[in-house]
Amino acid sequence: MKPTRFLNRATPYLFLAPAGIILLFALLYPIGYLTMASFFDWRMGTPFADAVFYGFKNYAWILNDPNFHESFMVTITFASTVVVLEMVIGVGLALMLERPIRGMSVFRTIFILPMMIAPIVVGLVWRYMYNPQFGIFNKTLKKWGFEPIPWLSSPDWALPSVIIADIWQWTPFIFILSLAALQSLPRSSLEAARIDGASEWQQIIYIKIPLMMPVLVVAALLRMIDAFKVLEVIFIMTNGGPGLSTEIMSLQIYKTAFVSWELGRAAALSNILLVIVLVITLTMFLYTKARDARMARIQAAVEQY
Amino acid sequence: MFDHLKKTLVTAALVGVSAGIMSTTVHAADPYEPYKGTTLVVNFPAHPHYDAVMKVIPKFTEETGIKVEVDQLQYLAMRQKQSLELTKPRGDYDLLAYVVFSKADYVPAGQLEPLAPFFMNPKLADPNYDPEDLITGYMQNIGVAGGKKGYLPGPTGALYGVPFGSETSVLGYRKDIFEKHNLKVPETYDELLELVCKIPELEPGMGGLTSRGASGHQVSHAFLLHLAPLGGSVYDDQWNPIVNNEAGVKAGEALKKILECGPEGGTSFGFAEMKNAFLQGNAAMFLDSTVVAGEVDDPEKSKIVGKVGWAMHPEGVRRGSQTGGFGIGIPSNAQNKEAAFLLLQWLTSKRVDKMIALEGGNPSRFSTHEDPDVNAKYPHMKTFAEALKYADPDWRPIIPTWGEVNNELGTTLSKALTGDMSVKEALDIVAERARAIQEKAGYYTWQQ
Repeated sequence: MKPTRFLNRATPYLFLAPAGIILLFALLYPIGYLTMASFFDWRMGTPFADAVFYGFKNYAWILNDPNFHESFMVTITFASTVVVLEMVIGVGLALMLERPIRGMSVFRTIFILPMMIAPIVVGLVWRYMYNPQFGIFNKTLKKWGFEPIPWLSSPDWALPSVIIADIWQWTPFIFILSLAALQSLPRSSLEAARIDGASEWQQIIYIKIPLMMPVLVVAALLRMIDAFKVLEVIFIMTNGGPGLSTEIMSLQIYKTAFVSWELGRAAALSNILLVIVLVITLTMFLYTKARDARMARIQAAVEQY
Repeated sequence: MFDHLKKTLVTAALVGVSAGIMSTTVHAADPYEPYKGTTLVVNFPAHPHYDAVMKVIPKFTEETGIKVEVDQLQYLAMRQKQSLELTKPRGDYDLLAYVVFSKADYVPAGQLEPLAPFFMNPKLADPNYDPEDLITGYMQNIGVAGGKKGYLPGPTGALYGVPFGSETSVLGYRKDIFEKHNLKVPETYDELLELVCKIPELEPGMGGLTSRGASGHQVSHAFLLHLAPLGGSVYDDQWNPIVNNEAGVKAGEALKKILECGPEGGTSFGFAEMKNAFLQGNAAMFLDSTVVAGEVDDPEKSKIVGKVGWAMHPEGVRRGSQTGGFGIGIPSNAQNKEAAFLLLQWLTSKRVDKMIALEGGNPSRFSTHEDPDVNAKYPHMKTFAEALKYADPDWRPIIPTWGEVNNELGTTLSKALTGDMSVKEALDIVAERARAIQEKAGYYTWQQ
């Protein structure tokens, strides 16, 4: 092999190498360490050298733990509800606010503010607003003659309450992405639809939403992954309570590690969460890939015709 | 001949001079002298007691020339930072305040320095320190480890820390409300439980007794507060869980009743919300840590200034008030241990204990509770001194597995309090889990 040919072939790898090495250390190493730790009985505050090999016992403990089952259901409910509601509200708002209306730029700026507030602060603000004594919600309800609502103190209300806070904070994210997608839609398709006499509603259903789909899938995916990882807001607002009614898995991981000091079990729990998120992400990814392939086939067929 | 005389004179002069030096050393000894200019790094929690301590720390530097740098952290976050610090070969902290149940982790891991060598060092130990004056219950709960059940004092125990910012439980009540309705201050649990639901009837909109109730540590704390006086315990002496026995169920039912008749939203209350409900006038009684006393009469924080009376924690089948709060100890990996001991000794001395008490801190000494100046400023100190006699060092187990058991108790019991299951069902689950946790940690190794 001539050196030049070798260099030609090696160049792409050389350029990829720094990124690859960083990825290896920033991603694979922690996951590898996590997986290793999950097989040990390792207490916080003791060196790893003192940890006892534990096999799959951490996983067995978790899978037999009714608290884990409950927390799993809470996580799924929380993540699916917030993603669906945020998508609907976010896309809806984007469709409504797409057209140039006076003062809209100000409104848009105000609307994206929640996203920029630190999660801890969001948690505190909502906790105060939900406060039964001086919170704005119950104060207003009482003023209007309604019964106060036990926002964070009842197991039936606590999860909806934290879901409301999450929607408030993260709908803007969907809104911004949808708005950007809408504004970059090909004008020609929309004009063609309009000339053909499609109503506003038909344009949305048949033209805008399908064309926005790739962006929406990515947005939903990002929110889904985030919803599985959310910790601070719930930690501050309810700390998982009452009972386990808002104890999402990330909070359970936190408590296992930093309240119960069971680092090995916390590692196992983290791995389980990782697998769940991976499965969901891959499913959505494969779905979009299949859809894209279908679209490409249709495109090809149309061109042939 | 001359030579001999010369030698004698020189020797005599030398002896005289050195004796002179020695005598000046003896008379003008400053035990702090060797450490002058040292900077101690100290880890304290953000807590009313330590806010008072911060006001006297500059005085230490002024008197001794030892500088103090304080790293103040939220108390539940302190444990994590300390774990990291204590496992390093050379720690950054020279002195740290630890939450009482950290004793169960730090002492077995050899992370806290035993204090006996310091108290035996004549250059460091102040003969006027008067250890007898330190509050017994606190010393047993916070300072000593290695006796009965491992965490209690006893002939096999040793000293690892000194209580500093310790607390017990007392009953605070609204004098105005009690007078208005001619109510008797409850002395027993029966009287207390009768009163908690009577108050909302007499004073619509006001809760009976404010209580913590948030899932986890908070609700667990509230439960244990009633468990000890009602005769219960989480484990027996053989580490068998007995939290679900009759006394346990009674304590759980008592807490449920207290929360039902308490201020709105009690099942989401942590310590701060619980305290604020009382300070804002939304509850007629308070039964928790003494630390609130400093804030009750602060018009900036309280709407009930001058309206609160204090009484002992009511008696169940026995008297037992909580012991908790903080102690200070020296990390084994500290870099300035001797100077740190001097600070520890200074902070917990009679004189400084009084200074801190006058700034609104929690005194660690009996004498401070009896002190006329302190009592003139805080008339409740006398009642607190009485309550301290019943401070129970065994009201909750201080064991390495406690974090996990506490979490289990706190979340499962929370379900019972919000109506998902009965108290008995919840405590049965807790007992089962508490056994599994102890088993894993090897507590049944010696059981036949």
